[in-house]
Amino acid sequence: MSAVVVDKVTKVFNQGRSDEVTALSEVELTVGDGEFVSLIGPSGCGKSTLLRLIADLIEPTAGTVTVAGKNAGQARRDQDYGIAFQQAGLFEWRTVRRNVELPLELRGMGKTDRKTRAEEMLELVGLAEFAGHYPAQLSGGMQQRVAIARALAVQPPLLLMDEPFGALDEMTRERLQTELLGICAKTGTSTVFVTHSISEAVFLSNRVVVMSARPGRITASVAVDLPARDEAARQSEKYFEHVTAVRQALRGVPASL
Amino acid sequence: MFVLAGVAVFVLLWEGYKIVGSQDGTVLFGVRVLPRADDLSMPHLWTVLQRLGRPELTGGRPVWIVVLQACAFTFGITAVGFLIGAFVGLLLAVAMQQFRLVERGLLPYVILSQTVPLVALAPLVAGWGGTIMPPWATVAVIAAYLAFFPVAVGMLRGLQSPATSGVELMRSYAAGWWRTLVKLRFPASLPYLFPALRLAGAAAVVGAVVGEISTGTRGGIGRLIIEYSREATSDPAKVYTAMLGAALLGLVVAGAVSLLEVPLMRHRRHVEVVTL
Repeated sequence: MSAVVVDKVTKVFNQGRSDEVTALSEVELTVGDGEFVSLIGPSGCGKSTLLRLIADLIEPTAGTVTVAGKNAGQARRDQDYGIAFQQAGLFEWRTVRRNVELPLELRGMGKTDRKTRAEEMLELVGLAEFAGHYPAQLSGGMQQRVAIARALAVQPPLLLMDEPFGALDEMTRERLQTELLGICAKTGTSTVFVTHSISEAVFLSNRVVVMSARPGRITASVAVDLPARDEAARQSEKYFEHVTAVRQALRGVPASL
Repeated sequence: MFVLAGVAVFVLLWEGYKIVGSQDGTVLFGVRVLPRADDLSMPHLWTVLQRLGRPELTGGRPVWIVVLQACAFTFGITAVGFLIGAFVGLLLAVAMQQFRLVERGLLPYVILSQTVPLVALAPLVAGWGGTIMPPWATVAVIAAYLAFFPVAVGMLRGLQSPATSGVELMRSYAAGWWRTLVKLRFPASLPYLFPALRLAGAAAVVGAVVGEISTGTRGGIGRLIIEYSREATSDPAKVYTAMLGAALLGLVVAGAVSLLEVPLMRHRRHVEVVTL
């Protein structure tokens, strides 16, 4: 069973008005179980819109979105995915641990279970000793890690991420990328990752889906096959070949790989 | 510390003006631009304090006891009015946040409600409510009428303050309207709520004092101000004792709000709030 199936989805904003925009046109996308797929493209190509459709934060104008074998709305109600945005979006009035507990709380999980699970997740992102801190006392990178821990707390089969490292500096970004890969490998989570960084997409993904704007369409799908994903991989020839392939796909040159 | 400094500055200004100011006030082109500085208009502060210790009428209770009792009476009315007003304001804010239509239809009237002069409104409320509730309750209604406004406006802004990502996050957790309100919107609105409550507290005091005066309710500080001001020509310090009481009332109400605020607002950022 595929983690996500997007079937001929079209999304039109402000339909029937003078400012009508076709954000996505007949998009087809399948994400396999355990697969890491990046969506990349210029701003306005609808990559965030596509992610929001999968998350059922908005509804498609035409077509269907299936998540974990159910329609997207049901999957959302069953909390079959975890989501993280560009802004960490932590609740400043809750401690780090209580932020991670939030989705569990809404699921009706008991207090002690919640605490244990939240502490596990914080351990996973390396912030165990900050459980009692408030978000304002943490750096941007640490806040983002808390947001990832929160997204992972319900142990979802699917992780949706909308430029989660976009606002971070290069050093933190690379460290978090490595951490994210480790977490996904450990938990077997499928991931849809929106980014506008080619190198980030290539380093993280099994597949990079390239989109173009007006109307948003998928123009290419570049499979990434790296033997390892560590610091050495960032310097490897194969890595650069893939970066070039994605760059060419973005420019509209047919992919050579 | 700063409070004491504030009092000291006030004393200096008051007594300083009494020294340099003209007894008949400064008149410019037939308009008095500065007040009279004589003992009748501006009694010495120590005279006011002394007056507090002396009996109200010959052989009666000391003024400070009378003033404090009146304060307690008005405080009760203020508290009831404040609570009703805050509750109504809260409900209005929630309704306006939830339904865009309500916000657009109601908000102009909420603002309009505060432009009606209180002195015109108070006798009307007393007239309507006089038959079904005791006088103090009509005054509380007037206080509530003033107090609900800052809460409604401030709370609306607070409830609308969460970023889209927070709202979407709650949606992704399949949280409905109520749980989004309780887990996200209410906590997010606290930095907006407390400044609004402080304004509402001040408004409730004004509403209670003016309400007492214009409905002729006995027993409160508003009534005392009117009674004492009638004696202003013979006993100028007396009316200032009542005003001191009203100021004290305002401080107590503001203090009560702060008491609530301190534990809840620890770890929270404070926002600049403009409530019209």
